[in-house]
Amino acid sequence: MSDPRAMNGDFLSLLPKHPFPHLEQLSNQTSTLEATTVFAFHCKEGVLFGGDHRATSGNVIFSDSTEKILELDERSIMAIAGSPAIAMEMARTLRTAFEFYRRSQLQPMSLAAKVRALSRLLRDNLPATLQGVGAVAPLFAGQDGTGDKAIPTIYFYDPLGANFEAANYAASGSGSGHIKSVLSYLENWGNPKPADMDLPVSVNLANRLLMTAAEFDAATGGVKPETKSFATIKLLSKSGVRSLDANEQMKYWKAN
Amino acid sequence: MHEEPYRWLEAIQNRREYIVDQIKEGTPVFALSRPEGVLLLGVGSGQSKIFEIFDRHGLAALGNPVDIEKLRQTAIEAAHTEGFNRSSDDVTLRRLVSFSLSPALKNSFEQIFSPPNMVESILAEVGPTPSKDAIVRLRFDGNHEYSSSGIAVASPVWGTESIAAEWLRETINKGDKLGDVISLCLTAWKALNDDNLNDGLKVPKKKVLNIPGKTVEAVLLDRKPKGNVHYRSLDTSDL
Repeated sequence: MSDPRAMNGDFLSLLPKHPFPHLEQLSNQTSTLEATTVFAFHCKEGVLFGGDHRATSGNVIFSDSTEKILELDERSIMAIAGSPAIAMEMARTLRTAFEFYRRSQLQPMSLAAKVRALSRLLRDNLPATLQGVGAVAPLFAGQDGTGDKAIPTIYFYDPLGANFEAANYAASGSGSGHIKSVLSYLENWGNPKPADMDLPVSVNLANRLLMTAAEFDAATGGVKPETKSFATIKLLSKSGVRSLDANEQMKYWKAN
Repeated sequence: MHEEPYRWLEAIQNRREYIVDQIKEGTPVFALSRPEGVLLLGVGSGQSKIFEIFDRHGLAALGNPVDIEKLRQTAIEAAHTEGFNRSSDDVTLRRLVSFSLSPALKNSFEQIFSPPNMVESILAEVGPTPSKDAIVRLRFDGNHEYSSSGIAVASPVWGTESIAAEWLRETINKGDKLGDVISLCLTAWKALNDDNLNDGLKVPKKKVLNIPGKTVEAVLLDRKPKGNVHYRSLDTSDL
């Protein structure tokens, strides 16, 4: 017997009779978009960020031209791994907040406040993180002031917003395990250690790290010097943030 | 008072005279469109006169520091809200002045029972080429005019700024470097400040890059910046 409360032919009464199987099927099958491997390590010039260009959705390569190392202002960088939609919106919010603060208060926001601002955004993203559709695990580096007193510092976050200072390096995303293994090895037994490497050597190391991760992780986009396809690399040094384009990376690669 | 139009007009007139009288101790500020970008220049004694508003926008102002601050904060908030909600390309000087700053100043000026905003200002936007630059002279009553010559002067003394702007327009050559332009602006600044426009507006034999006992603030809205931010303070000792 039909539900006496239901109107004849309304949506709720029709739904059990004519279920919509595709809806459930779709929701089970849909994989969320994810940006993969990013990392940062201290080198002689400052902090070097590297990242591949790949974004995946399940086993589908969604894009191979994604920018995941984002300059927030002239003293801070954020690298994103996880849901790009949310991570990029976080970066946009932080970029505006940092610039608004600097212009309105006539002084830059302190590094501690910037680190906390990103923590707060991650914590506010808790519902999407728990639903499994919008987790973000970013890396962040910044410095107070400029010139000799400026000391770049790397931070990494868990998706709930806890922040941790990284002594030497940090990595996030699906290929991060492979990269952390190599960096750990170099920190302990490398000669020179990454922190003692000058810029050309550090840039080559960053590209090789991504090549290594791409060997074992399908979600990490590789590096192909023969087609001038290199990692996204940015340097945070005492003089600010600088991007290293493919031409500069090719020069270092060839000189190696 | 509002029921009596004559008394309202009289009150407005008194208010205008009061503001002009209050800001007459201020010193002039300049904005000039150059091939390198838009040059903003002011001379002060401790208090800033030139400010960054948004990626491509700057403000030069004189008057009561509190009122300058109010104008500055309003401009920054409006620009950042627009930039965040849309994009930085959507933040334009024309919209900023027409829809945010000018109505606020006019409204404040006509509220005769509340304290007036005592601020004279110039706002500037750097474009990809000098012909796309925008410079607007914004008055305390909300009235505003765009500079067609690429030069604007804000002076506390009524009627003198057009003389100084005209002299700068005639004297500055296309190929002049920023140091030469700053020198001419400081010459005009001194002539305006000393109320000596007849004899003071002459090309100096030696470059003038400072005013004894004062701080020269020179800023370039750089046409070719390294990042998104075009605002760059110039060290006059390097010019």
